[in-house]
Amino acid sequence: MEPLTWTGALGTILNPVFTFAVLGLILSVAGYVLLNTFENAQTAFGVTANRASGPNSEYVLKFIFPIAAFTILLCAVYLLTGILAPYGTAGIIGELGVRLLPVWIALVVTFYLSITYKRKLGLYGKLFDSPIGMIGFAIVMFWVFTAVFVAMDLIITHDPLGQVSGMKNKVPGTPLRGAEDGDYAHYLLGGDNLARDVFSRVVKGSQVVLVIAPAATLFAFMVGITLGLPAGYFGGKLDTIISFVANLVLAFPVILLFFLLVTPEIRAAGIPIPGTEYIWKVPTIMASILFLFPLVFLVVLFDSRYFTQPAKRNLYVGLTVLIGGYIYLGMAWNADPLGIISIDDGVLIVFVAVVFVNSPTVFRIVRGLVLDIKTRDYVAAGQTRGEGPWYIMLWEILPNARGPLIVDFCLRIGYTTILLGTLGFFGLGLSSESPDWGTTINSGRRLLSVFPHPAIVPALALMSLVLGLNLLADGLREESLKD
Amino acid sequence: MSDDTYTGPILEIDQLSISFFTRLREIPAVMDFSCTVQPGEAMGLVGESGCGKSTVALGVMQDLGVNGRVVGGSIKFKGRDLGTMSAEELRDIRGSEIAMIYQEPMASLNPAMRIGKQLMEVPMIHFGTSEKEAYERALEVVTDVKLPDPSRILNSFPHQLSGGQQQRIVIAMALMSKPSLLILDEPTTALDVTVEAAVVELVKDLGKKYGTSMLFISHNLGLVLETCDRICVMYSGEAVETGSIEDVFDDMQHPYTQALFRSIPLPGADKNSRPLVAIPGNFPLPHERPQGCNFGPRCDYFQDGLCNQGDIRMQPIKGDDRHGSRCLRIDQIDWSAPIEIGAQTEKPEPGDVVLKMDNLKKYYEVAASALFGGANKKVVKANETLSFEARESETLAIVGESGCGKSTFAKVLMGLETATEGQILLHNQEIQATPIEERDTKTVSNVQMVFQNPFDTLNPSMTVGRQIIRALEIFGIGDDEAAREQRMLELLDLVKLPREFATRMPRQLSGGQKQRVGIARAFAGDAKIVVADEPVSALDVSVQAAVTDLLMEIQRENKTTLLFISHDLSIVRYLSDRVMVMYLGHVVELGTTDQVFQPPYHPYTEALLSAVPIADTSIEKQHIVLEGDIPSAMNPPPGCPFQTRCRWKDQVSDNLCEKDIPPVRDMAQGHQVKCHLADDILARMEPVIKIAAE
Repeated sequence: MEPLTWTGALGTILNPVFTFAVLGLILSVAGYVLLNTFENAQTAFGVTANRASGPNSEYVLKFIFPIAAFTILLCAVYLLTGILAPYGTAGIIGELGVRLLPVWIALVVTFYLSITYKRKLGLYGKLFDSPIGMIGFAIVMFWVFTAVFVAMDLIITHDPLGQVSGMKNKVPGTPLRGAEDGDYAHYLLGGDNLARDVFSRVVKGSQVVLVIAPAATLFAFMVGITLGLPAGYFGGKLDTIISFVANLVLAFPVILLFFLLVTPEIRAAGIPIPGTEYIWKVPTIMASILFLFPLVFLVVLFDSRYFTQPAKRNLYVGLTVLIGGYIYLGMAWNADPLGIISIDDGVLIVFVAVVFVNSPTVFRIVRGLVLDIKTRDYVAAGQTRGEGPWYIMLWEILPNARGPLIVDFCLRIGYTTILLGTLGFFGLGLSSESPDWGTTINSGRRLLSVFPHPAIVPALALMSLVLGLNLLADGLREESLKD
Repeated sequence: MSDDTYTGPILEIDQLSISFFTRLREIPAVMDFSCTVQPGEAMGLVGESGCGKSTVALGVMQDLGVNGRVVGGSIKFKGRDLGTMSAEELRDIRGSEIAMIYQEPMASLNPAMRIGKQLMEVPMIHFGTSEKEAYERALEVVTDVKLPDPSRILNSFPHQLSGGQQQRIVIAMALMSKPSLLILDEPTTALDVTVEAAVVELVKDLGKKYGTSMLFISHNLGLVLETCDRICVMYSGEAVETGSIEDVFDDMQHPYTQALFRSIPLPGADKNSRPLVAIPGNFPLPHERPQGCNFGPRCDYFQDGLCNQGDIRMQPIKGDDRHGSRCLRIDQIDWSAPIEIGAQTEKPEPGDVVLKMDNLKKYYEVAASALFGGANKKVVKANETLSFEARESETLAIVGESGCGKSTFAKVLMGLETATEGQILLHNQEIQATPIEERDTKTVSNVQMVFQNPFDTLNPSMTVGRQIIRALEIFGIGDDEAAREQRMLELLDLVKLPREFATRMPRQLSGGQKQRVGIARAFAGDAKIVVADEPVSALDVSVQAAVTDLLMEIQRENKTTLLFISHDLSIVRYLSDRVMVMYLGHVVELGTTDQVFQPPYHPYTEALLSAVPIADTSIEKQHIVLEGDIPSAMNPPPGCPFQTRCRWKDQVSDNLCEKDIPPVRDMAQGHQVKCHLADDILARMEPVIKIAAE
């Protein structure tokens, strides 16, 4: 097989056009920014603009949109040619487009449905009024769909752990040596220093990130909310104590904390339970405490609401304790009686550590919101009809704090993703074989100046996901403020 | 630096239209608005919230933000069109020739700059005055706004002053450059009544002294009557009637103005014999305005085919000076026809004593610092020796300004706080020491509360029906979900809301509707005592009447005792049977409505009565302006709490007022006054409000 170039045969025709389009776009945007600044300065210094001819910046603005549209169209041409034309015509970019075809389809369907019904979808629907939010959502969903389809064995081209001899550090587009029928013919994004396929590892790595980051953030929110609500609502000594502990955790250097938590000695250390052989190890101690919060949260949530209807209350609380307790046993104690749910030790410690360092920040946000909302009249109305404090916290205050919390949730998944990357980079927690982005960047770093691609590809992936999450959070914030 | 040669009108607004542009549509905020302000004239701009009065002010300032734009007409200031001026010319005029005073004084002052510096900036920037001259000028103006110790004030930061003092500083800042036009946007709404009266007095005097023209924006007709020469009534983006104060108040020519006056409690209105007439319907949203007359759908004189066809122009009224009305049927309506008296009701006889307070005291201990306190504990005496009784189906009004302890009292009654001393007897059961968690459901549901702020009273993320059902669940009413659902719908009927509202979210309701839901929720457990904490003060005038009437009606049916907390004496006079006046935690006067509103008064009641603006030209009021501010409850004056501001103090010998807290004296059957004044002095007091002989 021939090696693939980036744009293949198509590139010879299209590349010059594409270059021109991108150049034009850059020039017009820069021109607009410059002219606009100039005109604003003019107005600010009192020079009357010639209103009859209209500001010049608006004239330039008229060019930007067609050029941008044309550039995007060209990108689409690369992808479409890749999909329609025979293998290799549109080069690596075209073939990437083909591999990610399920993701494109899923994205188009999601956007089509969401935009059609956006007026009925509340805040989620409003997101589609904001271009920033839509871009962010598209990037995030790109990775979510990628992770999902990888799990369905669709996108991936090679075994992410499999090494193929002769493919070590090969540049993107290198044909697979000794390919047999049924094997994918190229390493699309090259091979890493252990001769594994970079593309397959990156898409596989999205799974690790997209499972751990949102879940850990969710748990951190549960802990932060469960502690922040009473601290803000009751105030006084309770508040002082919890805030102090939160500040302690925040004041401790995060990386040092991680190093400590994942050191084998500390992981092995624990409290021996007298009379038994069992040692209550540090990860288990932390997990058993931190994972208890969601359970407590849900039980209190249902109990405070339905205590007037015992039948309903017993049903909900019972179900929570049963299902939640089962998951809790499996996750925290690795003691699932059926043996279905268990977490790998390395993943558990990373998970617990991430929850541990994130929850104090969430705690502070929740506490601040509660301090504000508890002065509202509907809270007083709840108090004067004799509602319990937990009902007021969970059903009167918390739902009205949801706006800032949702935004922070999106941002925090981004931070957590970076944190996971950092952890992987330092080789903490996850095994060195793991395809997650942090670990991959770390293993690619040593030969960065000679073979940059094994490190750059996961770095771009990480960057794009975090960027998408931040844009999504921006869009949500912007839209939730409008009405 | 006013241009002295110009003699024409200061401000001419001609057919002004302003729109705001949103993503979905253009929202016209002001349409076809014209008015002229002559030199030295004060123009009042009155209307309900959302009618566009503030937008006019911002239009004059040419400060409409990104979305707002003048879409038609012109604004001329001293003959120059503001719309064609450049940014620089506008900046020259703003703050020097046109000054604006906003509602929140604290928000208008820079908290990080000393007062003096902020004041001196004005002449230094606009006229390049030297620092020394500017300081002189600042001293002069601060003296003019009657602040004590001007040099100390100039050296202090905004947060060191009280709300009233801050507003005076804002006024002083506006006057620093001797502007030709002063725009006041609800300048006293955030202040207490007695402080408001003093500020209004000041604005009036200064207007005369400096010869400044004023554009006074307010929702309070009484205030406009006291301050302005001319008035312009706005409704839904249009000026509906304009003219001199006398013409508009006594000879109104527009149905909206008429309806507005009939819905505010003037002296003479009475809940039983002459109830208020509420304006039916709701204020139209800006993009849902009807064809033709905006007021058409709510108007009693509406005529199909006439009022809902095409645009209606301002019609001049013959004989009056610059009096106009936007109504097509001016000549067909008999404006002098007497008010149709609404359904009269019998005054219900008060029943047994339901609630009895005996020597109730509530003190708070405030530590100097939350963390390392201990040594420096201060005691705030929020309630001092409160004693009174309330009977079944009686309305007891509790009147007082901020800091008088009325909210603390409500908290103690509800059980959110426990009393320091004394007794509260509810149906002969002591509840003063029982916090709400320990009260039984019956007691809790018996005492309920209606809150002040309609935008805050409902949980924004729960449907209206759900919130009422929750109250029913808590009070243990109804055996199952279906029964409670049924009861909830009945409660909606009770407060005259359509049943479909059950599934609405609070943000889809107007202020008045939310307040109705709040009332329904309070009555969910058949409350025997309802504490209404200023339930209508945040609502628009036309809605106030409807909500008040609703409260009265429910009270009549349920034989509820209503404790009506308010600072608005007009509405108190209208609906209460007995009145209790509070000042700094003390009850200073208690009696039936007639006794309290007639002399002899407690000196504070007298001042309060004089401070409340009344929108009736036939009323003559004594002007009593209280000096200074309400003392802090942390640091009350020795002796009588009111002695620092009392104008009768010198009539008491021995400095008794500064030494002893006055005893409670029985003046007549059920009329108590806490004052040292001798009987003969009290007897000599003159009524504050007199209705002039017609």
